Amino acid sequence: MRSMADLTLPFKKITLEFVKLGLVRAGFARTASFVVAACVLATAQSSPQVHLDAAGLAPRPIEELTGTTIARHYALAWQYMTGALESGRTDALGEEFVGSAKDRLIRRIGEQNQTGVHVRIVDHGHRLKAIFYSADGAAMQLLDQAQLEIQTFDGKKLIDTQNAPQEYMVLMTPGADRWYVRDLEEVSAKTF
Amino acid sequence: MQRTIHSDFALRNCLGGLALLCVLSGWAGTAELHVPPTLEAGQSFSIPAEGSGQATFYLVGPDHIVKRTVNLGSDLQVQSSDVRTAGRYQVILCAPSSCTSATFEAKAAPPARLSFFLHPSRVPVSTPQSIDATAFVFDQYSNPVLAPATVDFRITPATGAGFSRPSSAQHGVAWVRMDATPHEGRVQVTAVLGNVEEARVIQQVAAEACGLRMKAVANGNMVNLETDPVRDCSGNALPDGTVVSFTKEDKAGKSTVDTPIRKGIARAQFRFDGPARIGVACGVVLGNEVALNGKL
Repeated sequence: MRSMADLTLPFKKITLEFVKLGLVRAGFARTASFVVAACVLATAQSSPQVHLDAAGLAPRPIEELTGTTIARHYALAWQYMTGALESGRTDALGEEFVGSAKDRLIRRIGEQNQTGVHVRIVDHGHRLKAIFYSADGAAMQLLDQAQLEIQTFDGKKLIDTQNAPQEYMVLMTPGADRWYVRDLEEVSAKTF
Repeated sequence: MQRTIHSDFALRNCLGGLALLCVLSGWAGTAELHVPPTLEAGQSFSIPAEGSGQATFYLVGPDHIVKRTVNLGSDLQVQSSDVRTAGRYQVILCAPSSCTSATFEAKAAPPARLSFFLHPSRVPVSTPQSIDATAFVFDQYSNPVLAPATVDFRITPATGAGFSRPSSAQHGVAWVRMDATPHEGRVQVTAVLGNVEEARVIQQVAAEACGLRMKAVANGNMVNLETDPVRDCSGNALPDGTVVSFTKEDKAGKSTVDTPIRKGIARAQFRFDGPARIGVACGVVLGNEVALNGKL
């Protein structure tokens, strides 16, 4: 049983580097870079650390609140996806995914359940680089360099372990109260 | 000499043990899986599987998992429907005693669809850098096409010649920012990539009023005010409903009448007493002033 202090400890990791760097007033759009490591008490499971770099973003610069929100919800998305892929429960995906990302994850979890194959992801963090933010603010494309250990099981038998940096192309779109992951595709580093 | 005999004996025992292990496992020579590092989404392919006996074959993709028992020594067939989603796939082959794995990446098929956004839906004419066109490139399986491509944005105004603005898609996104054209009306923007086209329409509306003028016609102690047709600097008529403000200042004080343009013209009527000045404005634009000294 984890104590409340254990659960709230990750909150202390929440760091807004742009405040420390004095970037709030000057040149935030050019040098926006911050870390969000959020903890969700309801699930008693910490979100992975997400570092967002939005330097040189075009055609629209990123707002401070948008950057914080994106990093937080991307971290939550990975937390929920990791739990759902391991447990085989689509409802564990939460509300962080929409569109093709959600459809594909639901299909993947369904087929995991049919075949008895599942994965356990040990998430060591993400370095997000924002590469496109549409002028109307309706979509943001990001590149994620993730440090993951992916263990693949058939039933209880471990059949494969992948422990290499992974790159993901991410498309996020805003909703009423959050940014959703609309597309999440693993790509090779050679793509960039 | 004695050492040599002992060495040969040990070597024979070792090789015999390895052979026995291979026979018992019923699987030999599948230490490596040879898969193409990249392939196009939706293309079937085969993987050579050396050895003999049976094994379990797994294909773990972004939204699809295949698990089946296969006979080693023949090629493993991967159907086109198994690799329609772009992304990274794991291939795992498990004999009873051990597993071997490899990964490959399925890249998007050629562009087949454009998701096109044009912003805003209405824009004043001649406004610089006011129209944003963004196109996302997808293949037939709805995978983003990340390979470089050139999207041509073709602009067709209601009047005047059309023109085009090509843009290179970076990571599956092409966008341009452009000026509004000088004439009001419907402007169609079509994103074109190869034989794929997607059109959107934007409405250009008149900009701020330009050269706003009114005339006054006195009738006793009343004055009727009427503007000339209200247009912007490109000659486009401001839409009906746009508010024009007439302001009168006389010894009784200051009073303002806000009235909408109807059929291109705004009208108002004032009572005046003694000398008065009346001005007209529309938005941030001031028009002429009329001085009334008890008579015109």
